Amino acid sequence: MIPLLGLLAGIVLGIVLEPSIPQVLQPYLPIAIVAAMDALFGAFRAYLEGTFTDRVFVVSFISNVLIAAAIVYVGDQIGVGAQLATAVVVVLGIRIFTNAAAIRRALFHA
Amino acid sequence: MDLLNQIIRHPVDPDYVLATARGDEPAKRRWTLGVLAMIIGALFAVAALQTTRSAPVLQSERTELINRVQTAEREQDQLQGRVTSLSGEIATLRAAALGDDDAAHVLEMRIDALDPVVGNVAVSGPGVLIVVDDSPSAAADARDRVLDIDLQVLANGLWQGGAEAISINGHRLSNLTAIRSAGDAITVDYRSLTRPYRVEAIGDPRTLQARFVESSAGAWWNDLAQNRRMRYEISDVKQLDLAADPGMVLRHAGRATS
Repeated sequence: MIPLLGLLAGIVLGIVLEPSIPQVLQPYLPIAIVAAMDALFGAFRAYLEGTFTDRVFVVSFISNVLIAAAIVYVGDQIGVGAQLATAVVVVLGIRIFTNAAAIRRALFHA
Repeated sequence: MDLLNQIIRHPVDPDYVLATARGDEPAKRRWTLGVLAMIIGALFAVAALQTTRSAPVLQSERTELINRVQTAEREQDQLQGRVTSLSGEIATLRAAALGDDDAAHVLEMRIDALDPVVGNVAVSGPGVLIVVDDSPSAAADARDRVLDIDLQVLANGLWQGGAEAISINGHRLSNLTAIRSAGDAITVDYRSLTRPYRVEAIGDPRTLQARFVESSAGAWWNDLAQNRRMRYEISDVKQLDLAADPGMVLRHAGRATS
C-alpha cells in the first residue's frame, strides 16, 4: 500500500513541481525509467513469491538505474550510445515481459 | 542464445532469494520503499512532461525553418526579376549607345543572332524533350545510376545534332555551364538536380531528333537504356520555353572604335 501511495504522490509531485532535469542528464532519463520499471516488476514478482526484502529492492533499483545510465554514458563517449541504449532497453524489456508474465500467472492463475 | 536464455530464466534479482535464505528480517523501514516509489513516480511524471513539452517546440522549429526557406526563395525570385529587368535595361542602353547608322544595324543583327546561342535571352520554339532517370535497380548497383558524364554526353550530342538552346531541369546551358557530380547529386551551374532529368532542346524539329539518335551520344544512351535499363524517353515537342541563363553576365565591354 505504501509503495503505491508513494508512486501516486511522486507522480503528483512531479507534475506539480515540474523539477527541471539538467541538460546533461536528460538523455539518460528514459533509460533510468526503463531500469526503474524493471526493478519494480522484479520487486513485485519477488513479493508474490514471498521473497521480497526492501533492502534488496532499494539496492537493486539504485544499482540498476546507475549501471544502465553508466552504460549509455560510456557508449556516448565512444560513439555507440544509441546502440548501447538499444541493448539496455532490449535486455530490460525481456526481463520486464518475463516478470509480467510470472506476475500474471501468480495473480490470475492463467 | 545462452545470454537470452539466462535473461529469461533469471529475470528477478537473485539477491531476493539469497536475502530470504539468509533470514534477513522482513521490512521494518517501510518509509525507504515509500520514498523510492515517490522518486520513481516523479521520474515517470517528469519524463512524460518533458516529452509532451518538447513536441510543440520541435514543431515550431520546423515551421520556422520552412518559413526561412520560403523567404529565401521569395528573395531569390525578386533578385531574379531584378536581373531580368537590368538585362533589359542593358539592352536598351546598348541600342541607344550604338546609334542609328549602318554599322550599328550590322552589330545589332549580330547581337540578335548570338544572344540566343550563348543563352543570354529566353527562347522558345519547337524541339525535343528527353527524359532520363536511374534504372529501378540503382539502389543495388551504383552503375545503374545516371552520372554527370551521361548528361554531358547527352548535352553534347544535342549540340552536335543542331540544338540551338538546351536546358536541364529548367537550368539553361551556356558554354560556361558545368555539369558535375557533387556528392550524390548532379549539379548544373552548381545547383543540384533532382531526378528524373528533363533535358529540353530547341532545334530544327525535322532533323534534331534523328541527328541526335544517330550521333555517338544516341548510341551511348541506347546502350545505357538497354544494358542498364535506365529510363530514356525522347519525344518531339511543338513548343518549348527556355529561360535565360542567369549566370550570364557582361564580362567585357569596350568603346566602339569607329
